[in-house]
Amino acid sequence: MPSHFPLSATRPAAAQPAETSRSPRGRRGLAIIAAASALPLALAGCTDNAKAEATGGPIQVVSTDSACTIASASAPSGNLTFTVKNEGPQVTEFYLLAEDGLRILGEVENIGPGLTRNLVVTAEPGAYTTACKPGMTGEGIRAAFQVTDSGTKAAVDADFQKLLDAGVQQYAAYVKDQTEQLLAGTRDFAAAYADGDAGTARDLYAATRMHWERIEPVAESFGDLDPKLDAREADLEPGQEWTGWHRAEKDLFPPADYTALSAEERAALSAQLVADTEDLAQRTREVELSADNLGNGAKELLDEVATGKVTGEEEIWSHTDLWDFQANVDGARIAFESLKPALEQKDPELSASLEEKFTALQTGLKAYAKGDGFVYYNELNQEQVQELAALVDSLGEPLSQLTAAAVL
Amino acid sequence: MTANFLIGLREGLEATLIVVLLMAYLVKTGRRALLPRLWAGVAVAVAVSVAFGALLTFGPRGLTFEAQEAIGGGLSIIAVGLVTWMVFWMARTAKTLGGELKSRVDRVADGAGWGLVAVAALAVGREGLETALFLWAAAQSSGETTTPLVGALLGLGVAAGLGYLLHRGVVKVNLARFFIWTGAALVIIAGGVLAYGVHDLQEAGILPGLHIVAFDVSTAVPPSSWYGTLLKGTLNFSPATTWLEASAWLLYVVPILFFYLRVNLAAPSPVRSPRENAMASS
Repeated sequence: MPSHFPLSATRPAAAQPAETSRSPRGRRGLAIIAAASALPLALAGCTDNAKAEATGGPIQVVSTDSACTIASASAPSGNLTFTVKNEGPQVTEFYLLAEDGLRILGEVENIGPGLTRNLVVTAEPGAYTTACKPGMTGEGIRAAFQVTDSGTKAAVDADFQKLLDAGVQQYAAYVKDQTEQLLAGTRDFAAAYADGDAGTARDLYAATRMHWERIEPVAESFGDLDPKLDAREADLEPGQEWTGWHRAEKDLFPPADYTALSAEERAALSAQLVADTEDLAQRTREVELSADNLGNGAKELLDEVATGKVTGEEEIWSHTDLWDFQANVDGARIAFESLKPALEQKDPELSASLEEKFTALQTGLKAYAKGDGFVYYNELNQEQVQELAALVDSLGEPLSQLTAAAVL
Repeated sequence: MTANFLIGLREGLEATLIVVLLMAYLVKTGRRALLPRLWAGVAVAVAVSVAFGALLTFGPRGLTFEAQEAIGGGLSIIAVGLVTWMVFWMARTAKTLGGELKSRVDRVADGAGWGLVAVAALAVGREGLETALFLWAAAQSSGETTTPLVGALLGLGVAAGLGYLLHRGVVKVNLARFFIWTGAALVIIAGGVLAYGVHDLQEAGILPGLHIVAFDVSTAVPPSSWYGTLLKGTLNFSPATTWLEASAWLLYVVPILFFYLRVNLAAPSPVRSPRENAMASS
């Protein structure tokens, strides 16, 4: 095989005067070579080829000019092997992307016609996107891909600090992903709202805000941005200008005797909303999270549910409180799950209890799911609200112990 | 067949260009004795790549995608550093050629010769791993049909052939133009390598901004076309270039080229004939 390589065939490597170079330049040259050859070792991350077969065997992918056929739309978590065969006439690429379609988890490039190449990636349970790119341009042919929980951890690390660090990293990635989706959603919402397309804006309102509500503790850590984006009319300080989501909410879901905003005011509000969200997205990049931020954040999110969502105060005009409710619970659950591997070493009972309470609350909330969203808050009766409140309270108690148990 | 041929051609050109220009320089300045070192670097890179590729294809462990990109990107950026140093070294030693004692020149060349091994190894090695992985995949599938492997090898062969022709052509160019031309070409090629390295690191998630694209001319210059292949193979031109890549390219090429040209045009080499001097400064 090496002899086919045109560059190696010409002359052998034997003629090096290895020990003749004594000048400082010679040593510098050697040092550069040494540094260069050490680099791959320092950067090298290895992954098991063999283990891939242990969790379900390779997933066959066939890429042609117009199709990207994947043998299975889901796989158990752990090491996944995609065997990508190019049956089209053009060079193709295969990507495994995060659900947002932006972050690359793995790719194989340069799959020539008639060739088969493997992609091996370690994947946690969750939603992903696959893409074949015939001709190596554009978005590619995309499809959703699900990784189910195989129960076996990709790597069980006994080092407690590493578990915590990995959890914090995981949560930071989640925050980043949510801010990106928030920004994209806010842009769509603001465009529709500024255009006077109230129907579309109303449809986007609750779903977009969910990304905000999921990361609220992080967003709230910027004391100046939170009121600009999320202040409610009832909480305004005297003289404070009212901007943000709830200003638009009132305008889109107007109460009786309400004077609608002018087109100019709407445009200004939309522009402000997008600008503040961009600012937020930028600043969340620089936030340094620690494990106690996660634990306390989870608790804060649940308190938000108890004080704002269960009472229907948050979305007083749109009545979409249950969307926010779900998003707060999502945020708290992801924070808990990020800390879970560490918590299980310290206090497996608390971990089990939290797991159970989260499930109970989620089940209780699911009862009010409707279509892509939920029923409106004003459609709930007193008894139903109390039931939800009881579920929130029973989770709140063990959740308040999370930080102390996992971090200290 | 064509597509695999183009891949071979592109990867081959990416690996060959820097080596060819350095070779031409050594021949031109009468340092043929240093050629084996250049070839040694190439051979080491090819051997390591092929062995590593085989190990990753058939061995029990594969490389994570991030590591693969990080190695490619990291080697590219180191290669740029070395090529830059080489270009200025060439410019400097070119001046000492006639004016100083031969022994001194040789001593300097001897030290820098080790740099040559590293430059050659990096120039080839940065593309080597990816190419080797591709070739092993082609070899594996040759049980079904040999066309992919033949196509890719033909592409590599043509790249080597083009490299040889370029070498011959460059050697014929007159000395005054030669130094300016080779050095400037190397700087521009190195700029492409840098941008490519930045892109690799962006894909690995080590650098940000993978989706913030400065321009996208993929429809006008499809990467699968022959001209797209040549642009990519020679200048590492990417039809969809991110801002970070574009900035890295500009921030590298503009100042380096400026300093390079200033060094070269300001103090002409004593080897040049008066006529050539007049040409260089006009």
